[in-house]
Amino acid sequence: MKAVLSVALFFFTVHAFAQTPPLIRLGRGFAAEEQVWLMSARPDLTPNQGKRYQLKQILFQANPERFQAFLAGELDAGTAPGLAVIFARAQGMDMKIVASVCLEAGAPYFATTYMVKDDGPIKSIKDLKGGTIGVVGIKTATDLWARAGLINAGLVPDKDTKVVPMAFPVIGDAVRTGKVSAGTFVEPFYSAEMAKGGLRKLFTAVEAVGYEHELLDIFFGEKFLKANPDAVRAFLADYVAVTKYYLANMEQAKSDLHKAGFVRTPLPVYLKTSDWKRDPDARVNVESLKKLSAFMLDKLQWLEKPVNVDGMVDQTYLPR
Amino acid sequence: MRFFDRILPFVFVGAALAIWEAAARSGQWSPLLFPSLEKIFRELALFFTKTEMLLEIQVSLERALGGFALAAAVGILLGIVMGRSRFVAELLDPLFSGTYAVPKLALFPIFIFVFGIGSLSKVALVFLECLYPIVIMTYAGARDVNRALLWSAQNMGASRAAILRRVVIPATTPFIFAGFRVAVPVAMIVVVITEMVASADGLGYQVIYAMSSLRTDRMLAIVIVIAALGYALDKAVVLARDRLIYWEKLDTYYV
Repeated sequence: MKAVLSVALFFFTVHAFAQTPPLIRLGRGFAAEEQVWLMSARPDLTPNQGKRYQLKQILFQANPERFQAFLAGELDAGTAPGLAVIFARAQGMDMKIVASVCLEAGAPYFATTYMVKDDGPIKSIKDLKGGTIGVVGIKTATDLWARAGLINAGLVPDKDTKVVPMAFPVIGDAVRTGKVSAGTFVEPFYSAEMAKGGLRKLFTAVEAVGYEHELLDIFFGEKFLKANPDAVRAFLADYVAVTKYYLANMEQAKSDLHKAGFVRTPLPVYLKTSDWKRDPDARVNVESLKKLSAFMLDKLQWLEKPVNVDGMVDQTYLPR
Repeated sequence: MRFFDRILPFVFVGAALAIWEAAARSGQWSPLLFPSLEKIFRELALFFTKTEMLLEIQVSLERALGGFALAAAVGILLGIVMGRSRFVAELLDPLFSGTYAVPKLALFPIFIFVFGIGSLSKVALVFLECLYPIVIMTYAGARDVNRALLWSAQNMGASRAAILRRVVIPATTPFIFAGFRVAVPVAMIVVVITEMVASADGLGYQVIYAMSSLRTDRMLAIVIVIAALGYALDKAVVLARDRLIYWEKLDTYYV
């Protein structure tokens, strides 16, 4: 009897392990990724979660750390700005963009905004000569837009205008007190600072580069994609469903995210913030990534060689 | 010193480098995360061929040494006054003891608002971080002056100024240099970190620039440059100490 029970237990355990869906360890950030967070805040919206894949979201403050964790084998996927993935691919990292999170686009959507003191002397980007722009990090998207704005206005970044990194929460006061001439503002800081007053828009990310473009994307490691294609398809099917839910029920979704602790901004302020453009089908604007890549190579000399953007994006895992 | 004792530190360094290279070539870790020594030293060689990189060294050194020099001037003065005046010691000792453990780097955003985002905020923070070890060591030294020497000077009719100049300061100097040896690496660490947080130049900025470009090899090359600068500054302090305090050579007896 004991032997029979042991054999039964063994087969039950083996069966249980065989049924465990693959775990996706996803590195996330702290802004503009609402529909990604919603997958963990509202698992009831993701019918495949727990059945065809498991999801574990891990918070990172910056892209380099997220990529280091990916290289160390601690992450299978993540969110990252398109330009960060271009950098990563340029260094030979085996990752692919599989879906879009959000884009920098014109009205009625929110676009990252560079602001100056309302009563200050800076009226146009050219007036930034001899000044300083505060961005969030070196070689980040905010750095790229700042440099693009300066270059388009005929200024030479670093020579005519310094570009310095600083944290989002301090940029507002840094601009008001004249410590920097202009600063980068994203939601929810943009709305909070506009409510305080004393700041004026100088240019947006879209105006800086001149076209609508990818801001954040979801990437997966190529090995994981090859080993777990069904899990990735199931994940992306849920992701697209959640994106559609988010776009259709933004107030409820934002309240849920706030309740789950993904957003710390006071709820009334968070509910009023305008949102980035999000493609309901999570399709990636590949052309905009190509333009960004060419800009990084030719104008900024951020890349040592061209990056094959077509080979960097794989949208075949998205629902048809 | 025996031959073996002389080469021992190099053996350790060589062994550490060999372990690094073996790990890098093992294929266990991504070369982007764990670059080989060859790549790191190639980047190091490239670093020294670029004039702008030498200017970055200059910028960081000016900030570190500027803050350190200010801390030395103020710290020695405060330490000696505290050591020789009970009133000043009772006034300032709780302040220094109570705030020594405060991570001053957390105050950097405030420094940016007060002194701006340029060099001044970094020099000010280096000054504050270096001030503590210099004040505390100088204070200990100034209190530790041999009483017999002070009595002898008084008996010989020396004025207070002469006692300070001829007895207190020479007796305190070894302690001052001990404080300098703690403060110099602190100055380098603080300047690099502040440049990593908010700067458009300096070695810390270059570290963050290399990190953001996913160039670990370049970042480690800059880290080697920072370590070498720290080592050179420490050796300069030791050399100055041995020259100035020639009467007090370290003579440790190891049991």
